Amino acid sequence: MTDHGHDHDHDHPHEAITADERPGYYEIMETAVRELLVERKLFGADEIRRQIEVLDSRTPTLGAKVVARAWMDPAYKERLLENGRTACEELGITFYDDTQLIVLENTADVHNLIVCTLCSCYPRPVLGLPPDWYKLKPYRARAVHEPRAVLEEFGTHIPDDVEIRVSDSTAVIRYLVLPLRPAGTEALSEDELADLVTRDAMIGVIPVSYEKEAA
Amino acid sequence: MQTAATHIGGVVPALGEVPVFAPGDRVTIATRSPIGHYRVPTYLRGKLGTVEEVIPTMAVDNEEEAYGRNAGSKGHYYRIAIPMTEIWSDYVGSPNDGLRIEIFENWLERI
Amino acid sequence: MGSELLVKKLPNDIGGESAGKIERVEHELLPWEKRCHALADVLDFHKIINTEEKRRGVEALGSEMVGKLTYYERWIAAFANILFQKGILTPGELAVKMEEVERRWLASQQSAS
Repeated sequence: MTDHGHDHDHDHPHEAITADERPGYYEIMETAVRELLVERKLFGADEIRRQIEVLDSRTPTLGAKVVARAWMDPAYKERLLENGRTACEELGITFYDDTQLIVLENTADVHNLIVCTLCSCYPRPVLGLPPDWYKLKPYRARAVHEPRAVLEEFGTHIPDDVEIRVSDSTAVIRYLVLPLRPAGTEALSEDELADLVTRDAMIGVIPVSYEKEAA
Repeated sequence: MQTAATHIGGVVPALGEVPVFAPGDRVTIATRSPIGHYRVPTYLRGKLGTVEEVIPTMAVDNEEEAYGRNAGSKGHYYRIAIPMTEIWSDYVGSPNDGLRIEIFENWLERI
Repeated sequence: MGSELLVKKLPNDIGGESAGKIERVEHELLPWEKRCHALADVLDFHKIINTEEKRRGVEALGSEMVGKLTYYERWIAAFANILFQKGILTPGELAVKMEEVERRWLASQQSAS
């Protein structure tokens, strides 16, 4: 009996359906579509394998590094706000699609939030895949209508004198929120700053927080 | 950015190359109701906004692209700013709260 | 009057609709879901099915399927339909291949035991 756990680091492709459980209807459909298209040479099986590796390599850690760099380097931040995609590419974060990136800076006066009401547009090259809640109705329907109530649900209170800007992605632009750098972080290194930055802060639903550890 | 000193005269741009709208322009979002596919949500139809930014690279109309037409419909997308109170009569929040959205040129009319 | 709205308002066009609490759900993608996402990216890269065509294809499933299928289930069903429309595959070809895939799995279970 094959033992095919999922904690393996492997170089064999995940094309074979794992022997553990019976494939569901849609898995069978996916496998069949892929195999037919590869047989007809519309693309190579290696391209699917490679794209899985590409996807696995894209996590919020990348976005956190972008944020930390922007916090530490004002000239980089300026470039980032001017053209998000090229600034990410400077750091080796390649964009494998045609999307552009606008980085939205949170300030004392403006708090940004991103959503895709029509589907699930999300800055995948720099943040990885979005969480389910971002793709489901409650967030998508309500973020554009009652952003403050949505933020409260995430435990985030934004005072009334701070403007909330909700960006609804619909076309070729993707968004990334550049959160406010928390107070008391002046002595931290760039890596330590990056460790503070969460995916949800780069979506805009929570701030970045910092609590000095007790000595 | 081009200034009067660097702008060379006599250059004729192709149709659609020069953006129709500029930042600061007041625009309305059209009220048409396409079926089959669209990328302007119904909650914004007919709303008034301001052009915040011209998305600099021309790109295909994504509503055409959805039907496989990857070329021949390039134009400009614009990032539009719309106050929440303009969108929702029942908006709860600050009057300064706003929405930003990218909209293709053929959905926008100058006010 | 009710049926017009089904046609005029796409099932994914939900900005501003009433909705309940945001449940903070997320899940690690199943292997087939990840393969499906990779498939979408490769299809878009080759412009066999671009991303916008995929979106339209998902919308075209209609509100019942959009409501009942999960995210990646919608994608693969949409891909199949679009490939048929483009004459790249036929429904019969896909059905035969799906049977073959399932038979192969069953055979692998028998030989493994």
